[in-house]
Amino acid sequence: MKKLKKFNRIALVIIALGSFLLFAFTLPQEQKTPEEWDIPEEYQTMENPYKDDNSLDRIGKMLYAKHCKSCHGNKGQCDGPKAKQLETWCGDFTAEEFQNQADGVIYYKSIIGRDEMPNYESKIPDAEDRWAIVNYIRTLDD
Amino acid sequence: MKKFILFILITLMSTGAILAQEEKKEDKPVRAPFESGILIDSRTVFNPVKKTLEFNIQHRFAQIEDFNNLYGIYGASNIRLALNYSVMDKLMIGFGTTKDQKLQDFQLKYVILEQTRENTIPVGLAFYGNMAIDGRNEDVFGLNYEFTNRFSYFAQLIISRKISYALSLQLAPSFSHVNAVLPGYEHDKIGISFNGRLRVSPQSSIIFNYDQPLEIEAIYENKEPALKPKANVALGWEISTSTHAFQIFISSARALVPQYNMMYNTNDFFDGGIFFGFNITRLWSF
Repeated sequence: MKKLKKFNRIALVIIALGSFLLFAFTLPQEQKTPEEWDIPEEYQTMENPYKDDNSLDRIGKMLYAKHCKSCHGNKGQCDGPKAKQLETWCGDFTAEEFQNQADGVIYYKSIIGRDEMPNYESKIPDAEDRWAIVNYIRTLDD
Repeated sequence: MKKFILFILITLMSTGAILAQEEKKEDKPVRAPFESGILIDSRTVFNPVKKTLEFNIQHRFAQIEDFNNLYGIYGASNIRLALNYSVMDKLMIGFGTTKDQKLQDFQLKYVILEQTRENTIPVGLAFYGNMAIDGRNEDVFGLNYEFTNRFSYFAQLIISRKISYALSLQLAPSFSHVNAVLPGYEHDKIGISFNGRLRVSPQSSIIFNYDQPLEIEAIYENKEPALKPKANVALGWEISTSTHAFQIFISSARALVPQYNMMYNTNDFFDGGIFFGFNITRLWSF
């Protein structure tokens, strides 16, 4: 009888550990795949006035580290320290599919945002700074 | 001391002409010279944009002694909590409450000038002022108590210069006044602060602050004041994110409302009068 009790306890511990591990691995995968963005036409055709402006490289990197890195991660692969708390997966900036988007589209998604992606218009008021971030995101393609 | 101040002034002004000659189309204000409205024990020329609420937590542990008080962490601390609101891009008003002396302070900051990238305006300039009310029991104030005995004031002109991408410096002359003082003590004090930050990575900076109360005999009320306050020396580290700034530092000031620092600081940084402290700033935009 004693042996059975001991066995039960071990079984319980194994089940508890097992389910913990199971949840630990399944939770992140429960993040929603992002829905299609509804990008206004003016942004789809918007020109990037600072394209190839290398003087903004350092500014873009600094602003990305300050505003974006905590969720999007160092290389934009949605692996920052806050990424797992998001309900929706926040994208992979290194992916070809992402990089194929127009600059204006990346600008809209980054600055205007929607749902969990906050609006940065008041936090980054200067247009030059906003484009510096878009330019920096462009360098994350490898 | 005069030579030191002159040296700082000349450095601040002269670097302006040499550096900051970036070629840009229009002359816009320089990018955030500071990350937060607070820099250790001082205020900065930085003001969050209109309709931003700023929450400050300033925490100062007890004096660093030994392992027994875990270098000040187990001792009695001083804490200030404050809410500031940017009414306009250039104007902030706020209220703070402090543990020591139960100080309740009302403050105002106005950005007079913003340094520009093309150097049309070579320095940033801001006015900071506050009024604090000592909230302790009436009997602390002794005989002839009047409510105004609780009041103290601080007015400061902050001159800043963002010298390069990494380095921003400030020089800030100030005037402090306390309504009621003990016999032999002074009511007024002119002081000067020198502080800055050196960015060492996209998110981190080394920060420092130096507050020097000036002994000007011409404004002495007493032949020999009962207290000649000590300078406050502070050195720390700042990390900033989109909505937060964290500063962790050592400082020789315990007071968190600047006039109390300028009037009453008795801690000598170079003689063991050091405190651990941290500031947290959180911003909300509306």
